[in-house]
Amino acid sequence: MKKKLLSLLLATAMLAALAGCGGGKTAADAMDEAGESSAAAEQTKEETEAVQETQEEEEPAAGENKEPAQLDTSERVDLVFYTLGDAPADKEKVQEKINEILLEKVNATVDFQFSTWVDWQQKYSLQLTTGGVDLIYTANWSEYGTLANSGAFLPLDDLLDTVSPDMRELIGESALNQCRVGGQLYTIPCNDLEFTCNGIIYREDLREKYDLPVPNTPENIEAYLLGIKENDPDQQLLDVNGQETMGTVFNFKYPWVTFTGVPYGLAINYDTPQEVNDYWFSDDFLEDMKLLKKWADLGFWSRSALSNTPQEAPLENGLSVMYFAGFNPAKATWVMKDVEEEHPDWKVEFIAFGETTGVIFPANMQTNGTAVSKDCKNPERAMKVLELLLTDKELNDLVMYGIEGEHYEVDENGIYQNLSDKYGYGSMSTPNLRNKDIMIPSEARLRQDKFSTKFEEIGAKTKFPNTDIFGGFTEDNTPYSTEYGAVSNVCDQYLKPLLVGTVDDVDAAVAQFRDKLKEAGIDACREGYKEQWIAYCEEYGYK
Amino acid sequence: MKIKTSKSMIAFQSIACVLLTFGAVICVLPFGIILSGSLTDDAIIIKEGYSILPKGFTFEAYKTIFKVPGEILQAYKMTIFYTAVGTSLGLMMITMTSYVISRKEFKYRDQVSFLIYFTTLFGGGLIPWYLMYANVLNMKGTTFPIWFPGLMSPFLIILMRTFISESVPDAITESAKLDGAGHLTIFGRIILPVLGPGLATVGLFLALGYWNDWYRSSMFSTSQETWELQFYLYNLLNAAASIKQMAMNADIAMADIPTQSMKLAMAVVVTGPVLLFYPFVQRYFVSGITVGAVKG
Repeated sequence: MKKKLLSLLLATAMLAALAGCGGGKTAADAMDEAGESSAAAEQTKEETEAVQETQEEEEPAAGENKEPAQLDTSERVDLVFYTLGDAPADKEKVQEKINEILLEKVNATVDFQFSTWVDWQQKYSLQLTTGGVDLIYTANWSEYGTLANSGAFLPLDDLLDTVSPDMRELIGESALNQCRVGGQLYTIPCNDLEFTCNGIIYREDLREKYDLPVPNTPENIEAYLLGIKENDPDQQLLDVNGQETMGTVFNFKYPWVTFTGVPYGLAINYDTPQEVNDYWFSDDFLEDMKLLKKWADLGFWSRSALSNTPQEAPLENGLSVMYFAGFNPAKATWVMKDVEEEHPDWKVEFIAFGETTGVIFPANMQTNGTAVSKDCKNPERAMKVLELLLTDKELNDLVMYGIEGEHYEVDENGIYQNLSDKYGYGSMSTPNLRNKDIMIPSEARLRQDKFSTKFEEIGAKTKFPNTDIFGGFTEDNTPYSTEYGAVSNVCDQYLKPLLVGTVDDVDAAVAQFRDKLKEAGIDACREGYKEQWIAYCEEYGYK
Repeated sequence: MKIKTSKSMIAFQSIACVLLTFGAVICVLPFGIILSGSLTDDAIIIKEGYSILPKGFTFEAYKTIFKVPGEILQAYKMTIFYTAVGTSLGLMMITMTSYVISRKEFKYRDQVSFLIYFTTLFGGGLIPWYLMYANVLNMKGTTFPIWFPGLMSPFLIILMRTFISESVPDAITESAKLDGAGHLTIFGRIILPVLGPGLATVGLFLALGYWNDWYRSSMFSTSQETWELQFYLYNLLNAAASIKQMAMNADIAMADIPTQSMKLAMAVVVTGPVLLFYPFVQRYFVSGITVGAVKG
């Protein structure tokens, strides 16, 4: 009997292991190969063209005739539009409607294909390598710069002039310029400024209750947290952990060029982008780390912060009163809405770092764009379709919101109201097709707009009005990849304890961190980075 | 006569029992936590973390999953379809291939075997593989590239071949041949009937492979109708993580993000059938795999 029980136990154990871990291997293998895929892009190009499936029409050389000629639409063209995200349930239905109009207007159809969020980086580059797509979503975080450099997209300047001359005005020349790589334009950004500036979100109701200062500087944050601690000792204050440390808080202090910290502990101020200074080896850094140590000693966060994992939605669940890591207006609006529904007596506010430092800017125009793949057989038609999707009110509404009356309606205030969970707001995952002139605002959008207008005013006063100068920069760390790896390890081991204030002696720990950085070859990284950054600034004229 | 168990033997057995039980518990525990987590109230998971026995017992997570069961049932249907088609076709092809390369009189035996083994060392890699199905065969979006690539694997062919040569001595097939049996008769009436454990092992490997696969859906599915169950699950979890991360950079259409207990409930829903299926094949499994492996 005993034996039977034991063997049953073992069998179940083995099975659980089998069922659980079966699928992993192929993915890991494939991941390795994905890295090579962009490099292999050039090689496979010829093969790809030989086996290209979509079109039968021969390729007219792009942009050789300068005069805006009438587009030849005698033959039907089927295009593939690749976007990052999940397909809406009613994709086919909406797509059919879109194609009806497109066929009539330019004798073309478009098939939206979706990456889903599983392994999207790999699939994204695979699509470009194997040439199965015509139009494709681009973003700086999907490595637009690198891909453009490697020749994955068609240059669009000539196409714009011949096919869609009006688009230049719609998008704006300065926005287009932000998307240039090596002087060439490879993507058409949407014309909608988006403020993704980071900041903090905090419990305003507690601040009012205990009459505390608005936590918009490190000093005020200290006073705010101390105040809550004194009045309500049981309230947990901050959810600090190994992944979301306190490093971001100093964005309230320095007018840096990015909200996420310049790599390698460099300091580049927004107003003087070509002056690359040092942060990790400066006295400021030592002072800041001492402040964090003080906060940790005051008990603002758990002693075991370093080994903690992030809590799920700590603010909404009352596990923290303030949240730092990666908060932008869009995210803040979500939390606010959640809190409003679940805790009507609470109040949550968002403060952008830039409101204190005066440096604020919308996301770089590269964030949401549409490119034409190098393997596209009909670039003219693709461009025309893109123009229509962006500018034709009827088509744009279909793509962005679905079928009116079935998926959405516009209420008396002109605000979007969803009617069906089969197609949401912007459900084709095409933020690159947002056109602010014909957009139907949603409630969330209006909430965000409150921030945006405020930020746009601050942003207009900066040196580069409403321009994200850092967002278009892509670092290539291959020349110093060894040092890069070593420095990353040093940061994990020596910087993180500093950032959560769990060291005993800050002076000694900082000194040790600096020594280790030197040993790891921080100088090589900094040199390489600086060189690329200055070259980038020169190219775009950021002085 | 009963062999007297010596003290050292008793000591050895008790130590072995303790160690093995310990090992088994370590393997089972995570699954227990998944099960209990799926039955725990979501708010408690967030505040207090997971526990072995569910606190705040509730079926809420399962209710949410099956409120709109269409999607998950469709994924279930597809996975069962892929598993059934893949396993049956695969078993047939693997067994027949193994039979052929296990025959000594087959003239090109070495060459054919080499071709099969060679693929274990060198493969074309991801891009040619993808190109083949997507552009050459133009099968992207159909179910074909999802079940077809998993049909045969060199490992299973080797396993089966060894199994055949182990369990059927040459003399038997030779005498059958002398009696006038053709290859079909030999294969169908002499080899197949004794292959039970081998078929069960290879079949289980194939079935588990199909059941657990998500990657081919990820590559080749263009609509949710053809998704495998694991991919459906994986995508749901992944979307939550990606959106959380991506929201820092851009505002992206937010899908319904599953709660903690819902994720676990889905894991249970997906693993369930395999749990039920396994005990029936398990008794063949050990013998099948050892016969194939030791002398392979």
